[in-house]
Order: sequence, then C-alpha cells, then structure tokens
Amino acid sequence: MAEAKTFKGGIHPPYNKELASGKAIKRAPVPAEVIIPLQQHIGAPNEALVSAGDRVEVGQKIGSSDAFVSAPVHSSVAGVVKEVVDVPNFTGNKVKSVVITTDAEQPEFAKKPGKDIDSLSADEIREIAKEAGLVGMGGAAFPTHVKLTPPKDKPVDLVIINACECEPFLTCDHRQMLEKGDDLIAGARLLKTAVGAGKVIIGIEANKMDAVDAIRSKASGLSDVEVEVLEVKYPEGAEKMLIFALTGRKVPPGKLPSEVGCLVQNVGTAIALYEAAAWGKPLYERVLTVTGPGIREPGNLLAAIGTPISDLIEACGGFVGNPVKLIMGGPMTGWAQSGTTANVVKGTSGVVVLTSDVVEMGEETDCVRCSKCIEACPMFLSPNFIVQAAKRGQWDKAEMWGALDCFECGCCSFECPAFIPHVEYVRKAKAEIAALKKKKE
Amino acid sequence: MATDNLVQTPPPHLRSKEQTAVAMRDVLIALAPVTIAALVAFTYNALFVIAVCVGSCMFFEWAVRKLRKKKVTLRDGSAAVTGLLLALLMPAQIHWLNMIIASFIAIVVIKELMGGLGRNIFNPALFGYVFIITCSGILASWTGHLGFLSAGFDGVTGATPLAFIGPGLESMGPSYGSLLFANYGGAISEVGAFWVLLGGAYLIYRKVIGWVIPTTILATVFVLSYIVGSDGLYQILAGGVMLGAFFMATDWVSSPMFTWGQVIFGLIIGVCIVLIRVFGAPTGAVAYSIIIGNCFVPLLDKVFKPKRFGEVVAA
Repeated sequence: MAEAKTFKGGIHPPYNKELASGKAIKRAPVPAEVIIPLQQHIGAPNEALVSAGDRVEVGQKIGSSDAFVSAPVHSSVAGVVKEVVDVPNFTGNKVKSVVITTDAEQPEFAKKPGKDIDSLSADEIREIAKEAGLVGMGGAAFPTHVKLTPPKDKPVDLVIINACECEPFLTCDHRQMLEKGDDLIAGARLLKTAVGAGKVIIGIEANKMDAVDAIRSKASGLSDVEVEVLEVKYPEGAEKMLIFALTGRKVPPGKLPSEVGCLVQNVGTAIALYEAAAWGKPLYERVLTVTGPGIREPGNLLAAIGTPISDLIEACGGFVGNPVKLIMGGPMTGWAQSGTTANVVKGTSGVVVLTSDVVEMGEETDCVRCSKCIEACPMFLSPNFIVQAAKRGQWDKAEMWGALDCFECGCCSFECPAFIPHVEYVRKAKAEIAALKKKKE
Repeated sequence: MATDNLVQTPPPHLRSKEQTAVAMRDVLIALAPVTIAALVAFTYNALFVIAVCVGSCMFFEWAVRKLRKKKVTLRDGSAAVTGLLLALLMPAQIHWLNMIIASFIAIVVIKELMGGLGRNIFNPALFGYVFIITCSGILASWTGHLGFLSAGFDGVTGATPLAFIGPGLESMGPSYGSLLFANYGGAISEVGAFWVLLGGAYLIYRKVIGWVIPTTILATVFVLSYIVGSDGLYQILAGGVMLGAFFMATDWVSSPMFTWGQVIFGLIIGVCIVLIRVFGAPTGAVAYSIIIGNCFVPLLDKVFKPKRFGEVVAA
C-alpha cells in the first residue's frame, strides 16, 4: 500500500476515538423544547419568519435572509413557537433564537418525491444547498452554496471530501461513512457537478481503515471517485493541509482553496446535500458525537438542531467521574462551556466531556524559547513571536509574524511547555489588526 | 451538581504533558551518566563541588525571587540544572568561594536580572563559569585533582588533554579511547566524552533538544580542525566540546529558534572553538565560543524567519 499522505508540522494528540467509534448512530430523543438560533453560520443573520404562537412543522423554514452569504434555518420539530428572543449560544454571544415547544407526537419528515439527482444542473444544486440551509458541518459553518460559487476565473477541477476527522474523540464522520456510504458518494458527486470539477477525492485518516474499505468498495465502479488514505496527524483535516497532502498544491496566505482549483467539503455536508437533493430534506438535524471520559455511555447521536446538550448527555447515561471540561466541538478547537444549557447548532460536531484526571492544568509562564510551537505549526508561523508582539500590543508585528494566517488549530499550545494559550493571543491580535485596518479606511 | 467544577479556558483543551519541569527533569536524567562518572573519578571532591553549586544556585534563585516579590519557581527545576551544569564545568580542586561567585553571577545577574527564565540572553551556567575564569584571582589549579584518589587513573597529575591541542601536538596527548571513557583532567565533567554523548542522545530521543545545533558544532570543529592542521577527532573528544554542544549551546532560551539560524549558530560556535583553541588559550574556549554565539541569537531569529505555508518568494 502506498504511504499515507500528509503535511509538514502538526502533532499527535491522544485520539481516544475508540470510546465511540464502535457505536452505531442512534436517534436522540426529541426534547420538550428546542432553541434554534437564527444565525448558525458565518455571514448575515436571518430574520425570523415566525412569531410567538405560530404552528411549525418539521423542516419548515423559520428564518431567512436576502444576503448572499447566509443560510436559512428550519424548524427541527413539529410544535408551537413559544417566543423569539436573544439567547446566548455556545460561544456565549447572544443570538436571536426561535424557541419552540415540541408536540408530544412527532411525525416523520415527509420525504418529497425524489428528483433524478443525476440530471440536476450546477445552478439547481446550488439552489438546493441554499434552500436547505446547508453549511460546513465540520465546525466552521460557512454557507455551502457560497463555497459552491467559486470565482469565474478560478475553475475548480477537484472536489475533496474531508473525511479525516482529525479532532480527537469525535467519530460522527466515521460512523456516517460506515452507515451512509452511498449517500456520501452521491453527495460528493453532486458537489462535483455544482463546481464543474472532474474528480472527487475522499481523504480518510489511516485510523479509519474500515471506512476506507467500505467507501472504496462502494466507489469501485466509479471512475470519478477516489479514496485516499492520510496519515493520522492533527490537523490533517484543515483545508489547506488536506489539499497539500492530497495534491501538493499550496493555497497562498489569505486565499481560498479555489485559488488552486479545489473545493473541500466535510462528510456531513456532502450527505446533507444528497438528502436535500433526493428528498427535499433541509438541514434540521445532524449526527454528532457525545463522548469523553466524563460521559457514561459515549455514542453517536442524530439530534434535532436546537436540542439542549443536557438532553444529549442524559441520553448517553449522564456524567461520570469529575467533569472539568465540557466542550462543544472537538477538544482542540471547541468551546468550553460553563454548564449544559447550550444548544446543538448545524456546526456542532460533538460534545466532549473531559474529567480532572485527563485535563492538564498548568500555569502560563514566560516563553522559554524551546521552538516546539514553531515545529508544530502547520502554517510555518512563529506562534511564540505572535504572542510576544500581542503581549506588548505591537499589532503590526503580530501581523508580520503571521497572526492573520493562523487558523487556530492549537498545535502550538498543545506542545507548549510554558502552557501559553497562543490561540487566545492570536484571536486578540486578529481583532486588533482588523480594528486598526478599519480605522485606516 | 456534576457541572460545578467546569472550567472555561480557551482551546485547545488537550495539552502535552511535556511541560518545562519535565524537560528540566530530562536534562538532569541526561546528565546522570557524566555526573556518576565524575563522582566515581573524583569521589567527594566532585560531591562537594556539585553540592555547593546546586545548593547556591537554588538558594540564589529562591532569594532573588523573594526579593523581586515574584513566585518562587524552584519547582521548574531550571536552577538545579544551572547548578549542576556549573558544577560540571568546575575542576575538582577549587576554592568554594569561586563556586558561590559563579552561582551568583549565573542566577542573579544573568538569569533573574534579565527578567527570569526565558529572557536571559546568555546561558547562565556558562557565563558564571566564564566570569570566574576571567575575573577570579583565587582560582585553583585546573590540572588533575587532589592526591588522595587511588592511583592508576589517567592524568592523575599533569596537564589536561587540552594542553596537547595544536598542530602536531595531539598525538602526544591521551588516546581517543581514554578521552572517550576515562580521561581525568580539567573539569569534573571531563571524565569521558562518551558519558556526555549518552546523555545528549537521550535528550534528542526525548525531543528536549534538536539535533541541528550539536551536529553542526561537532561537524564544524571536526572539519575545521583538520583544515588548520589539528586533529579533529581529538578536538571533539577532549575538553568541553561534547558538553557544550549537547547541553550548553542547546539551551532553549539562549539558542536560535529557526532551523537555519541554528545551523549558523552552530557554525559560529564551532569556528570560534577551533580558532580560540588553536590560536589562543584552550581553557574556556568552548564557553567563550558559546557566549559569542549567544550574542548572535536575536539577529539570527530575525534573519531566518521561515516562509509561511504557501508564501511565494518575492521575485
């Protein structure tokens, strides 16, 4: 077998995938109440299409926007709108949200008569993606139809399905590949049609060889779909790293994958596109992993958007041990929560609960110049010098050292013997640099 | 409630266990072979040197942190490492006051007054050592050691191997084998380059240090020695080159951060070692060279900034 492909830099954190990788996807119970934020994506917020007292059905559009960079939201349940209010989301920011009291009886989603998905045009696929409210489901939540509209002068020849799932603990993409392989391949080919590419590569990390075999056998008759095995290394699934590992193409700083003729989409997004195209199903539920040493029965759940994470934790047997970190998303890039009130959004790939015995608690000290952050950085930046500049408020220097190129993977902080939270400094630097640029204009 | 202990810190939420204190512990482990060899060779003379240096370095660190009203950071192990490295540079027979002066210079002046661990430009142990060999008038003899050791060791009395450095002279010095395993003379760490090499290999294996700096220094000394007509192999085995290359020049804080900067840093040190040894006085050549190298670090970090991912070289 050919050597697994990879990039330069990166780290090998403890993966702990075995906690949930063997657990088949289960439907999470429908909660008594869902809270659906009107903005779950990068871009313009939606206006509510419903108000208190309105009846809503499963999959009914409840928020939309005229802006191009936006994605509508749909009701994940049948029920009655209780109110439309500002609610703190998983990052702590207040977002206008639709609160829906669910009916005791939940009807199945009425599948719309299937279209012939092979005859869809690029424009039709983009429209389907927009109407279904599709966003990148790996965590970034960028509206899919925007990604499917690359600049005219930048033809895309390759669609890459990001099936690395390089974040430790998470297994939802792995399970979906095992259980919905045909849908994934169909969705990937729709993506290919939408951007006019000639080929699809599904890139899977070598710790999911069962998924590699499953997808390879399903794609065996297809000349336009390839499966590639990637080295198990974090952040293998970062867009620029993945493109480089698979093709050797380097996306320049500040540019998008279309610059080098690539489109990267996550496994969940491709499957959701297939479901939207084949059955008219909007993105109102998603598969996520509830796992970690602090969860009694880790598993992969299909949960309605807006479900409070307390319900999901309960569905997985509740807490065990002494939980000290409750993370929305993966443990490398996710958001630590102070409680269980946050709700599932389209970009929620997991709920990870870490206990006191596995969390390294340290105190930030001065940089000891060990160079480990530099060796780990997949973007070849100098995280230590960005931090040094940020500490002194020298934002121009922070930019010179590459603050804007950082995609906050956290490799530097993982390796740092002085326990410096580089990502936090970088975020501050990015905000200050943006503010300075605005001032200049 | 099960959620009472939840903490909200920025990502990443997973961290490596390899924190500074672990690295310092690794350095102590890596120094164990040469330390044990020194104790075997110089018995309680070595023990006395090590105890005074480590003890006074730790005391000064504690005292100066208290005076600066900063958290006492003895637990990171860096003061103990500085003390042990300093001890290993000392001859077996040395006035105790020298060691205390060297410890004071290392910890108080070079480390803490520069801002503490992470901000010192020079390697503290080396600077303390250089201070006493250049400034102290009460330094004892560097040759051999006290007479009560059992006889039979190489170089119990007489000149250190460094006395034979120079074109054509090396063949009169100890054999390579004795330089590797058993030569006594000079500092207490000069009891066999092999023991130092063993520790260096451990540090590279544990990824505490990289291989670039030691390799460049050793290669430069080796090659340049032959060019100037000296014995390259003798040069890297004799004196403090091995200790300097693996334990002093690789000090995190006072070495360059980028690979090409590290190569140039190693070259500078290697060239200085040979030039000082062959054309100047051999004692302290390695220490002077590394301190000269330390001076170039800020410049090297500026010049050798790596290209960002996907960055196009400006035409």
